[in-house]
Amino acid sequence: MKFVINVLSSSNAPATRRALRFAQAVLAAGHEIVRVFFYQDGVLTASNNLVVAQDQQDIAKQWQAFITENKLDAVVCIAAALRRGVLDQAEAQRYQREAVNLADGYQLSGLGQLHDALQQADRCISFGGE
Amino acid sequence: MAKSVLLISRQAPWAGIGAAEALDIALAAGAFDLPLSILFMDDGVLQLLDQQQPQALEQKDLSANLQALPMFGIEQLYVAQHCLTVRGLADNPLALTAERVDDQRIQQLIRQHDYVMTL
Amino acid sequence: MTTLHILNAAPTQTSQLSSCLRVLSAGDGIVFCGEAVQALRAGSLAAQQLQGIDPSCKLYALEEDVLARAIDAEALPVTLLDYPAFVALCVAYSRVNSWT
Repeated sequence: MKFVINVLSSSNAPATRRALRFAQAVLAAGHEIVRVFFYQDGVLTASNNLVVAQDQQDIAKQWQAFITENKLDAVVCIAAALRRGVLDQAEAQRYQREAVNLADGYQLSGLGQLHDALQQADRCISFGGE
Repeated sequence: MAKSVLLISRQAPWAGIGAAEALDIALAAGAFDLPLSILFMDDGVLQLLDQQQPQALEQKDLSANLQALPMFGIEQLYVAQHCLTVRGLADNPLALTAERVDDQRIQQLIRQHDYVMTL
Repeated sequence: MTTLHILNAAPTQTSQLSSCLRVLSAGDGIVFCGEAVQALRAGSLAAQQLQGIDPSCKLYALEEDVLARAIDAEALPVTLLDYPAFVALCVAYSRVNSWT
């Protein structure tokens, strides 16, 4: 089966860890992830600027590793990202901001990518709130 | 045939950007000509209330985006009757044309769509 | 065509559970995860409400969340899930409605 996974919360939210463990289980079961779409506070999970205490799970880092190791299509909604201060090189230049903090492996794009993924997939699950 | 989405919008309009970000999903579907219906439920029904004054909060008026929905081809709008009633809004005129639906009709709507996204 | 509803907020904090119960169809399932597992606590008001639902609707909970919160869900017919089982459920039901 083909899954779309929406991440709507930051890496500090338990929901974001749940999303990751779920995504890992999806692949382990032999299913496909068409796209992981980061929206609302989920865009913060794609920041490369987070500092996590040594004795805590670095969920953002784990998400990044999972995406890159499995060559997943990880899209971060550009509008949601801009208003929360997550920018790539192009946007930082465009808006003359100092920090380029979109982690490697992620791409900024529009909500059209969410709908495109839904049209290709069989199941969609979202993780957000707390 | 394109897969259909039922977007259930549950956030109050001025409680944060949740309501606007849910609406953006609907507008994006419309821009790509995809079948999407919206059900306003729980505090989401408050988005449809007439005569609100967001400028008092220095906020952009969400109703501009709501009014744009039919222009984007998003015409199937529903509002949960029960949620209007418990908020004392059963008799209030709505700012948008939305079909008032009871619980049974909502159950049916869910079953009629390929995807349900509740925000 | 059945729907698997996923709840993640405490019933004492939001209307997720009460609203979900209103729009549940026969044959649907509910997965309790995160703070939503509070609804399963024996003796709670939410647990009482769950006693009365259509028996064709199955209840599930993420085991890690039940354990973490010392929930005693004995009184309810809840199936505890690990992540592989959670994925399998999403495949078995026709659609997933995640309440956030």
